[in-house]
Amino acid sequence: MNMFQFAFMQNALFVSICISILCPCIGIFLVLRRYSMIGDTLSHASLAGVTLGLLSGHNPLLGAFLFTAVSGALIEWLRSYFKKFTDLILSIVLAFSVGTAITIISSGKLSANADSFMFGSILTVSREDMVLILILSLLSVLTLILLYNQLLYIAYDEEAARVAGVRVRLINYVFSILVAAAISVSIRIVGVLVLSSMIALPVATALQLGKGFRPTLLFSIAFSFIDIMLGLVVSYYLNVAPGGFSALVSVAVLLLVIAGKQLLGAIRTRQAAAV
Amino acid sequence: MSDAVKLPKVEISQLYFSYTGTGPYVLRDINLCIESGEYISVVGDNGSGKSTLMRLLLGFLKPQKGSLAVRASRLAYVPQKNDFSNASFPITVFEMMNAYRRLLKLKSRDCIQSALAQVGMQDHTRALMGTLSGGQHQKILIARALMGQPDLLILDEPSTGVDIDSQNEIYRFLKKLNREQGLTLISVEHNLDAALANSTQIYHISAGQGHLCSPEQYAAELLHRQRSLS
Repeated sequence: MNMFQFAFMQNALFVSICISILCPCIGIFLVLRRYSMIGDTLSHASLAGVTLGLLSGHNPLLGAFLFTAVSGALIEWLRSYFKKFTDLILSIVLAFSVGTAITIISSGKLSANADSFMFGSILTVSREDMVLILILSLLSVLTLILLYNQLLYIAYDEEAARVAGVRVRLINYVFSILVAAAISVSIRIVGVLVLSSMIALPVATALQLGKGFRPTLLFSIAFSFIDIMLGLVVSYYLNVAPGGFSALVSVAVLLLVIAGKQLLGAIRTRQAAAV
Repeated sequence: MSDAVKLPKVEISQLYFSYTGTGPYVLRDINLCIESGEYISVVGDNGSGKSTLMRLLLGFLKPQKGSLAVRASRLAYVPQKNDFSNASFPITVFEMMNAYRRLLKLKSRDCIQSALAQVGMQDHTRALMGTLSGGQHQKILIARALMGQPDLLILDEPSTGVDIDSQNEIYRFLKKLNREQGLTLISVEHNLDAALANSTQIYHISAGQGHLCSPEQYAAELLHRQRSLS
C-alpha cells in the first residue's frame, strides 16, 4: 500500500519539502556566521510560542512564529548590550522562553497536548497549518532571494558590507524573522528538540564538498531533502517520531560524506605517490 | 560648486574619542586635513589609536567631541588580511566580487574582470578565497575595493600576512594608483619602510595624539629616536 495515498502523509510530504528548502537556506547563514547555537536557542524558544498559542486558543504555529521572531530580535538587541559575552545572551533567551513553556505546560491549562511539538509528528499537520506554512515559506524564500547579496556579505565580511552601504542592523532583524519562519514551518514534523539538526547538519555536510557559496547552498538543500524524506518514510514504517529519525539520518549522511571524502583523499594521495 | 572641489577630502577638527563614552580618551585633540590626491600613511605603536582613527573614518565609530568630515563620493576599504579568520568560508573569487558589485549597484559584470586584471588576478575567478595565498588574497581585496571607481581608498595594514614579493607588488600598485590616477589613499601602516617610500605625508599617532609630517621629516624623527635610545 502506497503510504502517500493517506491525506496526513500528503500533508507531511508537503511540509517536508518546505522544510528541506527553507531550513538550509537559513542554516547556511547561521552556520557561516558561527551562530548555529542561535538556531538551537530559537527552536527551543518556539515551544513557548506554541504553548502561548494553545493557551490563548490561537494557531500554535502562529504563536511559535511570533514568539520566535521576538526572541530573535531580542538576541539581536542584547548583542549590542553584552558585546563580549554573546553566549550569555542565548542562556538568557533560553531561560526566558523555556521557563515560559514549562510554566504554561505544568499549569495544566492547555487545551491540547504540546508533546507532538517537542518530538514532531506526521499525524498532526492540519489544513490551517499548511496554509500558514505555505505563506511563511513563500515569503521567506522571496525575502532570501531579495537579500541574498546582503546576507552573504554580512556573513563573509560585515565591515565591507557596511562600507558598501548595507544596513547591517536592520537586515539582522529581518533575518531573525526569517529564522523564526523556518522554525515555525518545521516544528510540526521535526519537533523542537532536534530542529537545529535540520538547520545545521545539511549545511555541515555540504561544506565537506569544498565548493563555492551557491553550490554549497544547493547541496545543503539536496542533503536536507534526503535527510527529511528518508526520515519521513522510514519513521512511517517504524512507527517512530519523524523528527528524531531525520536527525539520525542527517548525522549518518554527514558521517558518510566525511568518510567518502577521507577515502577519496587517501586514493588520490596513493595515486600521486604511484606517479 | 568650485568651493566644493576645493574642500579637503578628509577634515578632522579637535576630535576626541573614547570607547567608554567618557575619558580616558583613545584619541585626543586630533586635527587632520587630507587633500585630494594625497597618500597618507597612519603610523604608530600598537594601541596608539591608529585603527580607532580608521574606524572613525569608515563611520563605524562616532567621535565624542569634535568634528569629522569625509567627503568621498565613493569610499572603499581594504581590510587587514588577518581579519579573515574565515578562511573556510565557501566562496569563490567571482562570487565574492559579484555579490559586492551588486551591493554597489553596478550593472555590468565587466567591472569584475577589469578590477581583477588591474591586480593581475583575472585568471583566478574560480578559485575559492580560502585557497589563495596571503598576497593573492590581498590583491583580490584591493580589486574589490577598486570596483565602482572610488575616490578615497582606506587600507588597514595592506602588507600583513603577505610575502615580500607580493608586498612590493602591492605597494608599487598603490603608488601608481595614487600618482597616476590621483586616487586619495589612507593606509594604516606597520610597515615603516613602505610608509616612507610611498606616502606623500605621514600621520604619526602616539598615545592618542597625532601630527602630520613629510616622509623626510618622519625619517629624521625615527633616526633621532634611534640615536637617543642607543
